[in-house]
Amino acid sequence: MADMVSIPHSQPQQHQFNPYTENGGTILAIAGADFSVIAGDTRQSEGYSIQTRYAPKVFRLTDKAVLAVNGFAADGNMFVKKVRQRLEWYRHAHAKDMPIRAIARLIQTMLYSRRFFPYYVYNILGGIEEDGTGAVYSFDPVGSYEREACRAAGAAQSLVQPFLDNQIYFKNQTPAPGTSFPGHLSLSTVLSLVIDSFTSATERHIEVGDGLEMYIVLAKNSPSIQSLRDIRGMSELTATEDGERVFVVRRDLKKD
Amino acid sequence: MSVYRSPGFDFSNSTRNNFLLNKGVPLPKATSTGTTIVGCVFKDGIVLGADTRATEGPIVADKNCEKIHFITEGIRCCGAGTAADTEFTTALISSNMELHALQSGRKPRVVTAMTMLKQTLFRYQGHIGAALVLGGVDPTGPQLFTIHPHGSTDKLPYVTMGSGSLAAMAVFESKWSANMERQEALDLVILAISAGIFNDLGSGSNVDACIITADGTEMLRNVDMPNQRVQKERDYKFRRGTTAWTKEDVRKFVVEETVTSTDEMDTS
Amino acid sequence: MNSFVDQFSTHSPTAQLKRAQKLIAAEEDDYSDAAWGSQAGFGGMIKGIPAFKVPAVADPTAFLRLHTDDHADPNCRIKIQHGTTTLAFRFKGGVIVAVDSRATAGSYVASGTVKKVIEINPYLLGTMAGGAADCQFWETYLGMHCRLHELRNRERISVSAASKYLSNLVYSYKGMGLSMGTMICGWDKTGPAVFYVDSDGTRLKGDLFSVGSGSTFAYGVLDQGYRWDLTDEEAQELGRRSIFAAGHRDAMSGNTCNLYHVKEEGWDFIGNYDISKMYYEGPGDVPGAPGGGYGYAIRTEGRSAANPPPS
Repeated sequence: MADMVSIPHSQPQQHQFNPYTENGGTILAIAGADFSVIAGDTRQSEGYSIQTRYAPKVFRLTDKAVLAVNGFAADGNMFVKKVRQRLEWYRHAHAKDMPIRAIARLIQTMLYSRRFFPYYVYNILGGIEEDGTGAVYSFDPVGSYEREACRAAGAAQSLVQPFLDNQIYFKNQTPAPGTSFPGHLSLSTVLSLVIDSFTSATERHIEVGDGLEMYIVLAKNSPSIQSLRDIRGMSELTATEDGERVFVVRRDLKKD
Repeated sequence: MSVYRSPGFDFSNSTRNNFLLNKGVPLPKATSTGTTIVGCVFKDGIVLGADTRATEGPIVADKNCEKIHFITEGIRCCGAGTAADTEFTTALISSNMELHALQSGRKPRVVTAMTMLKQTLFRYQGHIGAALVLGGVDPTGPQLFTIHPHGSTDKLPYVTMGSGSLAAMAVFESKWSANMERQEALDLVILAISAGIFNDLGSGSNVDACIITADGTEMLRNVDMPNQRVQKERDYKFRRGTTAWTKEDVRKFVVEETVTSTDEMDTS
Repeated sequence: MNSFVDQFSTHSPTAQLKRAQKLIAAEEDDYSDAAWGSQAGFGGMIKGIPAFKVPAVADPTAFLRLHTDDHADPNCRIKIQHGTTTLAFRFKGGVIVAVDSRATAGSYVASGTVKKVIEINPYLLGTMAGGAADCQFWETYLGMHCRLHELRNRERISVSAASKYLSNLVYSYKGMGLSMGTMICGWDKTGPAVFYVDSDGTRLKGDLFSVGSGSTFAYGVLDQGYRWDLTDEEAQELGRRSIFAAGHRDAMSGNTCNLYHVKEEGWDFIGNYDISKMYYEGPGDVPGAPGGGYGYAIRTEGRSAANPPPS
């Protein structure tokens, strides 16, 4: 009888367990014919304070896959860590990188395994498919996913996505008579759109700013490499030879 | 309900609002100036400072608003909190100060404005969301006050208010000294506001300042503009005919008149 | 007094609790051997139902609801997609499955290109309403078990068995917060079949179902046009027209319509139709379509002075 009484005292008693916070920021990815651009700002904030001006939200997973995470930073970093671990195990077992469509499914099962205690993270996966086409996969926090041509997520999602819909899907635009809109945009156009998306989001959203990181994944022997030649502040991150190539471009954003 | 109204203010609407809030009907979002405002005393007078960002939640509503309000020629007031509340209370007190000056035939004093403001705010028990920095020079010398939304006031040589108040106060605490020169004080105020602009998400854009001395008031709108908009990579001009339409209807609003001459009127 | 005894006792409930907590801590991050190889992901689950991580609170369901249910709190952090129109009906030529493609989070259109028909295998389709992840995940999982059934029994699973498998599965999670309203559609030995399964555990066999916030609008069109002996073209048009009606009138549904037709030899993807385009121009040159837009203003153009013919 005494034991039964003592149990409630030894159990953790909490009125509200709140392990989540929102850390602001925005991510975005656009797929092209033979490339993919994945970008995110580098500000991490909580409430009205900036925790850091440089916290990467975009991560290279392999030479053909880049993952952007947004939402609760602690969950995001942990999630990327776990995805990378699973990709390494795959590499050890199969001596090759996991294809992006398989990474997408892996991310679904990893997110869904926390269905009852979700990772508060919005994921966007970008990269090159096995057939050499650019791909973007977007996820909700519990793992529903879809392959798309472009997707924005995070604090300024509702500012950036309509802009992208208009400029990439040409929504609410009618082509000139006798012409049609291009099926795929060039890499230089896409990069310009990404930069403009972030400078605009920085102007009007208080949680976006400080820095911009754009990852560019190019398919094997992609001619799009030409338009990267005169891009300021670019560096290459490719780990293997004769395959897909990964580049990163860093730019400053307003700091107010 | 009684037919007699009880004396004093009626707060029954705030009870109703709280009830609605609990029912899941939110109040309409007011534009708030999640702000950095400061003031500091120097040798000859007062320097007031403010940032120029106005926000609606996480969205920047105005990138270059004015937060230093006119009270009288020698008295100005910086407002933080609900934008409409700060604007209307300062405007009201500005009117009353002018009437008071006219009636008394004396130069208006900062304490008078401070007392009017705190009494107004206290009456409304914090429901008027105005946090103010009031400063000016009157016959008694330079005066600087802060007024909190519930009506309490402080009289200090350097003050800060708003969401960026901690960032700005950090600058004052480390760099303020008594009997500064005019330029020194202005630079310090710019530095304090800049600290708010860069470290507080609620504050941003430009620095406004106002220097008040016995000789006159100098309003320095956008003294520092450290956050200029960058050039866009592309231009977004749309071809004529981009927007689809279902129906075209052209109407003439200009009525064309033709003057026709008829037989001359018989004026005989 | 009691706490002192508890501390050193090995059989008291406290000790048992501590032992259980230690066990859970050890199991955390413990991957099976399968996770190292190609079986990572779904592979590890075919041996049984996957294990889910649950927050260490007294009431995990309340925790989940606090953070995910946007009916309780409009400001909750994790938005689960709601708002849909899906329909499926049985007729002599098979099963027509038609859905919209909109995902909403509050008043925001999160996506306009969602695939709400889940291709379980070449003979089975599932529809998505409620939690997108719940439907996607469990219907993919169902697909694995349908394949295992084929390997074990040398024949395809019946639609009835497949839907019952799903129904039993979600019922085992009842009260945990899953949200699904799905139609399992296929063609088996008994002919065309449609089963409605939802996360409450309901499983219904029927000829005609519509699920989601726009279902009332879809039913309106569906009920007035439905017959068993519809031709394939008529049936496809009915499905398309019903989704159009829902997409047009329900703010939470819209964007495009995805149309599938399940026949004896498996399902066929018929097409994707833009709902705004259907309003003005119709679905295009497809069999069964009347030609011209579905919109009332378009259909009645030129019939009255209020809606005069185009100049």
